[in-house]
Amino acid sequence: MIAQVLGHYRIDAKIGEGGMGVVYRAHDQVLHRDVAIKVVNKDARLDSSASQRLLHEARASSALAHPNIGTIYEVGETDGELYIVMELVEGRSLHAMSADAGLPPESVLRYGVQIASALGRAHDRGIVHRDLKTANIVVSAQGLVKVLDFGLAKQVGSSLFEGPTRSFATVEDASSVSGTLPYMAPEILRGDAADYRSDLWALGVVLYEAASGRLPFAGRTGFEISSAILREIPNPLGPPVPPGLWAIIQRCLTKEPIQRYQRAGEVQAALEAVQSAAIVSPGPSTDVSPPKTTVLHSMRHAHVRKGDFVLLVGTTKGAFILRSNTRRTGWEVGGPYFHGHSVYAMAYDGRGGQRRIWVATSSYWGTLLRSSDDFGKSWTNPRQAPIRFPADTGVSLKNIWQITLGRPEEPNRLYCGVEPAALFETGDSGETWSLVRGLFDHPHRARWMPGNGGLALHTILLDPGDNQRMYVAISAGGVYRTNDGGSTWTAQNQGIRAMFMPNKNPEFGQCVHKIAMHPSRPERLFLQNHWGLYRSDNYAESWIDIANGVPSDFGFAVVMHPRNPDCVYIVPVESDEFRCACEGRLRVYRTRNSGASWEPLVRGLPQKRAYETVLRDAMTADSFDPVGIYFGTRSGQLFASRDEGRSWQKILEGLPAVVCVRQALVEDASASPRPTLPKAAVAPSPPMKSRSKGNRGRPKR
Amino acid sequence: MPLTVHIPGALREFTAGNSRVQIEHSPATLAEALSALFALYPGVRDRIATEQGQVREHINIFIGDENMRYTGGLASPVFAGSEISIVPAISGG
Repeated sequence: MIAQVLGHYRIDAKIGEGGMGVVYRAHDQVLHRDVAIKVVNKDARLDSSASQRLLHEARASSALAHPNIGTIYEVGETDGELYIVMELVEGRSLHAMSADAGLPPESVLRYGVQIASALGRAHDRGIVHRDLKTANIVVSAQGLVKVLDFGLAKQVGSSLFEGPTRSFATVEDASSVSGTLPYMAPEILRGDAADYRSDLWALGVVLYEAASGRLPFAGRTGFEISSAILREIPNPLGPPVPPGLWAIIQRCLTKEPIQRYQRAGEVQAALEAVQSAAIVSPGPSTDVSPPKTTVLHSMRHAHVRKGDFVLLVGTTKGAFILRSNTRRTGWEVGGPYFHGHSVYAMAYDGRGGQRRIWVATSSYWGTLLRSSDDFGKSWTNPRQAPIRFPADTGVSLKNIWQITLGRPEEPNRLYCGVEPAALFETGDSGETWSLVRGLFDHPHRARWMPGNGGLALHTILLDPGDNQRMYVAISAGGVYRTNDGGSTWTAQNQGIRAMFMPNKNPEFGQCVHKIAMHPSRPERLFLQNHWGLYRSDNYAESWIDIANGVPSDFGFAVVMHPRNPDCVYIVPVESDEFRCACEGRLRVYRTRNSGASWEPLVRGLPQKRAYETVLRDAMTADSFDPVGIYFGTRSGQLFASRDEGRSWQKILEGLPAVVCVRQALVEDASASPRPTLPKAAVAPSPPMKSRSKGNRGRPKR
Repeated sequence: MPLTVHIPGALREFTAGNSRVQIEHSPATLAEALSALFALYPGVRDRIATEQGQVREHINIFIGDENMRYTGGLASPVFAGSEISIVPAISGG
């Protein structure tokens, strides 16, 4: 072959040999550049349809312009010789570089980011590598990574199992032999088709090998290797491999594809995060008694006593606590607490006799969940942010949008919905929080899109009749439901329109603004969408439009009447572009027939030039009879009705933009034991997925 | 000669009230200097950096008069006698 001419390429030297054929260094006599040519073995058992597929695949791969992908220039056939012309990459294979004891973690991270970036580009174009391994990755003298052989492996079929592929990177590496079996994902061994997640498994093997010099799954025979891949957990990598990198590798090497990263971009982001985290990781602490609680001496507080009624008001510039008695006529105002911080979520937790206010604060200095057991006189100020994404996610907390109490029988359990969209839970009254992986790892997550307020999980509803069922709402992702305590989640958006998408009725991606459920009718949910007002009567299996007689079906807040499951309150706004009360008239709308018709409630509300907005959590209802309704506006006014909405009074104005309103009747703190017992005495609540099925029947009203 | 980190008022409850913290052991980069600060006063870390280790979007760190974003980020060199300032950015509504 040497010195022969193939097309317009002069073959100069043999530089390697692989399962598919021999690789030569050649000279392009037209463009006057050196190239690599892979001449496909005639005995590689490619029938004519297979060679057509190879041509097709190679042509698709040739469109992958990316700095970390070895470019395919041309695929040709001359005199029955099928050949692929590629960029000649000078460098050493990652296999050769990792051979002894592995590379320093900094190098593994640097190369890993580039490999993940290359995979990301290919996957975006629908191309799966299928044979990623250290021998197929070349690192130039300048540290630039090139991934070779993209999309070529698929067509050689069984030869992958029969013979090792050889690196053709350089003459030096020509003899290096690296079996492919050790890089194969379990699903391939089980006979399933390879997909992009099989590449992410292979990337995990590559990172493991690069970090340690060893393969994670080894054996003397193919059977032993296959068995290890299918069943064994790789030996952990300790220092100098940073824990974050080890966590990423473990996630890539999860046996079930659904539990791995779902996109190469996620691996890339996680590796980049470890790159930077590695340099600002905290050292050992010498600070043995850090401040945990901040006492506010100079603040005006509301002096809350047993039997009082309180409103918790979160604004974009701080939190307020309003105190009244059961008549709810005069109000004492405490705050602003956390002045200058935005407070998107508050909650009052009176379970088990406690009197705890939860608040989420967000500022330049990050987002924190805090609590007060004395109505604002002192607040926790945790040294370390309690809600934080694990290192392997590569994601950082932006905001907490919702704090939801767990079921009454689990007074130490709470949930938080956060941005970027994710659900966190605690089973020990907020001492430790964990990410609900079943939702975070949902394959849809990569395709959720941020709404105007960011990509937020803002609503959490627990089914009171089934302790395994809960719902979350994500803007813009839609409604998701779990029936197994959080292990698995399904999109439940049938019938909900997505006006901003080409397909108006997608499976998910709807911009749901709020959902509400009445505890006596857990099968029934009400939903305010970004355009659209809906009800479901079948646990969110399907939704029907109930925008019957409202001036606009755009809005945010939805509040249930505490006793009447047919009664719902909303505040429509004009449109997506003009998110203000329709015609400048501030009107609450109420249905008492579960959406068959709606009536405006306006007495006492401004009806001229009132371009107000009531945001998704800025309205609430108390449990008095007649019921009290409270809402705050973006312009900082707070309104209340003590007669189910028939008439309204302004109870406060001049606040920063109101984003959250919650209410509570303060019970006697000594009435029952506190929920948080000393650690030794507490039987920890099991995590979500292992809790037992509860009574599926309806609770008594 | 040690290096000095100036602590803004909002973070002083985590530095025992100190407005200036001296870092000994001659760190070579800003990252090392901050690591030493976090070892002394762990509560400062999560206020300045995200859980993934990036300096928060609206926090600026200056070495002398230069914003670290223009001097090489966390890898910026620091020297004995360097004055590091942690300052919230001018932004927000």
